[in-house]
Amino acid sequence: MSKKDATKKTFDNILLTLEETQEKVGYLPAEFMVELADSLDVPVSDVYGVASFYSFLATRPPGRNVIRICKSLPCHLKDGQTIIDTIEKEIGVKPGRTTPDGRFSFELTNCIGLCDGAPAMLINHNVHVDLTPGKIASILDKYK
Amino acid sequence: MPQAKIVLKNCGIIDPKDINTYRTKDGFKALDKARGMTAAGVINEIKTSGLRGRGGAGFPCGVKWEGARNSPGDEKYVICNADEGEVGTFKDRYIIQNDPFSLVEGLAIAGYTVGARQGYIYLRAEYSYLLGLLRGAIDQAQEAGYLDGFNIAIRLGAGAYICGEESALMESIEGKRGESRYRPPFPTVAGLWQKPTTINNVETLMNVAQIVLNGGGWYAQMGTERSKGTKVFSVSGDVARPGVYEMVLGSPLRELVEGLAGAKDIKMIQIGGATGRIIPYDMIDTPLAFESYLGAGAITVYNKSRDVLDIVGRTMEFLAEESCGKCTPCRQGMEWMVEVLGRFHRGEGLARDIGYMEVLADTMALSSLCGLGQAAPFAVVDTLKYFRSDYEKGISGK
Amino acid sequence: MGDITLTMNGAAISGREGMTILEVARENGIDIPTLCYLKELTPIGACRLCVVEVEGSRMLVGSCHTPIAPGMVIQTHSPKVLEVRRVLIELMMASHPDSCIVCEAANCCELRMRATDLEVGLPRFRTRLRYFPLEDENSNIIRDMSKCILCRRCVTACYNTEGKKMFSLAYRGFESKVIYDLDKPVGSDETCRDCDTCISLCPTGALRQPIKFGQRKKGPVLYVKG
Ligand SMILES: Cc1cc2nc3c(=O)[nH]c(=O)nc-3n(C[C@H](O)[C@H](O)[C@H](O)COP(=O)(O)O)c2cc1C
Ligand code: SF4
Ligand code: FES
Ligand code: FES
Repeated sequence: MSKKDATKKTFDNILLTLEETQEKVGYLPAEFMVELADSLDVPVSDVYGVASFYSFLATRPPGRNVIRICKSLPCHLKDGQTIIDTIEKEIGVKPGRTTPDGRFSFELTNCIGLCDGAPAMLINHNVHVDLTPGKIASILDKYK
Repeated sequence: MPQAKIVLKNCGIIDPKDINTYRTKDGFKALDKARGMTAAGVINEIKTSGLRGRGGAGFPCGVKWEGARNSPGDEKYVICNADEGEVGTFKDRYIIQNDPFSLVEGLAIAGYTVGARQGYIYLRAEYSYLLGLLRGAIDQAQEAGYLDGFNIAIRLGAGAYICGEESALMESIEGKRGESRYRPPFPTVAGLWQKPTTINNVETLMNVAQIVLNGGGWYAQMGTERSKGTKVFSVSGDVARPGVYEMVLGSPLRELVEGLAGAKDIKMIQIGGATGRIIPYDMIDTPLAFESYLGAGAITVYNKSRDVLDIVGRTMEFLAEESCGKCTPCRQGMEWMVEVLGRFHRGEGLARDIGYMEVLADTMALSSLCGLGQAAPFAVVDTLKYFRSDYEKGISGK
Repeated sequence: MGDITLTMNGAAISGREGMTILEVARENGIDIPTLCYLKELTPIGACRLCVVEVEGSRMLVGSCHTPIAPGMVIQTHSPKVLEVRRVLIELMMASHPDSCIVCEAANCCELRMRATDLEVGLPRFRTRLRYFPLEDENSNIIRDMSKCILCRRCVTACYNTEGKKMFSLAYRGFESKVIYDLDKPVGSDETCRDCDTCISLCPTGALRQPIKFGQRKKGPVLYVKG
């Protein structure tokens, strides 16, 4: 009995290519995904399948700065919700949204491994820990 | 006695950016020593040490290495799992921040022992700020000639807790969706690109150099019957001093939580994060060991003011969001759990759903494809056991 | 002739090296229900319906992808296994619409057949439904992804049998979906061949053939008992 192998054909690393593009362009434009699929000779649905799996990959343009604030339990216990509310007030959009001026995207994320500094958040690749409502304005100020 | 520094011995002592400071602390001596031994010799020391995986599953490290070593094939891989996505875990971050060299050395010893020329470190995207440090450590080791014939590449995750699960992690390195694979075949036989592969947690690899240098017998003196050595714990939640603590295995939980971290008015403790176990305060004298439960060593403390249903609900929400969605029990079961716990939390629960939760928990544990779905119901099962009245209060009309 | 002997439901049977538990069971006339498994293709292991009890294993074991080993002691229909299979079917139906009565696939729905076989009662685990608009513009295929139970047969079959790949998995967890292109509906201009492969394999009414004018509905395949 012959078994055909669905995994034989390895695409030369879709994820790696997507990550590189996102780092350069900020997100994954549809045209790029189509191009990548063509060059690897896979259907574009495969590329989109990978892109949509990972929460750090964006298929729509995000803001210039991406705020990722932790909503998991250890941060929640340290009043993380207040910080989330403070940011929402400060930038004027709800989690999941981007400010109209494109300055910030605001996302809630699961534990980012900074629970010893809860509540914690990442802005772009930077760490901000031991947050208090009073600190938010001056932190956000640094990101234009 | 219970606090000891094996894994964290260099943390705060060496400069993580400078290989020379690491050299003065016996750095890379173990790698030299290992290369003077046979692979079987190294495996033997690791086996004697009793070292078990620190990433959650507790699999004996020596047995894993031996499996990959003995699998036929020239092309083999060793992987360091630095995905650390479990809620409340941050020890691997702390380790990389403070002593990336021991990790590189541990991985190189693994590579030598298993017979792999290529190693990978899979670092979660949330730790992208550690990339420079980690790369620096690899490059310096390379330049100093310690990595001859062995190449280490860093692969960055892209935001998916499931990619900490070993088979999903390998799918992710291959560039695919991070979906779990069924086993067998086990990674030691057919892992990354279907080649024999070992995968180890950061902390597991941190122990390796010490074991090679001092001997497995030395290591095996510490700990209990089935839990040798030390464990690094990440303590968070309602404690005065959250942080990273290294303890000899078998130490009492109380000492860690009340003594070192300064917790008061404890209601319950979650050991091992979202896929971990929950125990009430009166079990605080449980020893910290594989014999009871360890997970990856996340200790989240909840005080008396906390709402059990809120905590379990959030735990389930996390797992539902992070399920890869491949298998039925995990994908569909998590969704139902989240919805039902939400109803109980709002006081709209149905009495019969308590029984259904138990039925579903059984099915998930028994039939899920990977450890996520299998361990996902723990929080529900444990709180139903110890805090059942909280659920009963959530029944509509009560 | 077999070279590996094992015990299945109390009887000693044998199989050849490399066979899965499922293959050996079928060869010996034991019917283990499956959904995602497709004969001749690499197992997927997603639906979990084929789980069996293997002595010495804490978890149940997926029979469609687990190779046999000498001395294995297997229970394919123990009460524990049957209960788990029942719950799995209920979970598949948990987010599936209640439209069986008007569904084209109703009398040849494999999901329904499995549910009947396992005597699944009223569903205990209803969740929110997954709603997607009907994709009915193509002349070869109609997709109603609200009915999809994510068995992945269509994805695998299109690739392996037809050498094409119309569909892929996208998103994750409960949001997972079998998508076409960049998650577009299969439109009228798409290159789906009229091969029927995925349609005939879909265990639910999620994939079907458009009924062309003058054409009779598919003959009755009464899977459903009673
Ligand atoms: C859902 C899930 C998430 C996991 N996440 C991690 C992780 O972030 N880091 C880790 O080292 N192991 C993680 N594991 C355990 C790995 O699958 C694997 O057992 C481990 O990396 C093996 O290394 P060890 O033997 O050194 O512990 C996870 C397991 C599961 C089921
Ligand atoms: S459309 Fe049908 S065949 Fe395809 S995954 Fe869904 S249920 Fe399975
Ligand atoms: S819970 Fe917020 S960083 Fe871990
Ligand atoms: S038939 Fe075996 S997992 Fe689906």
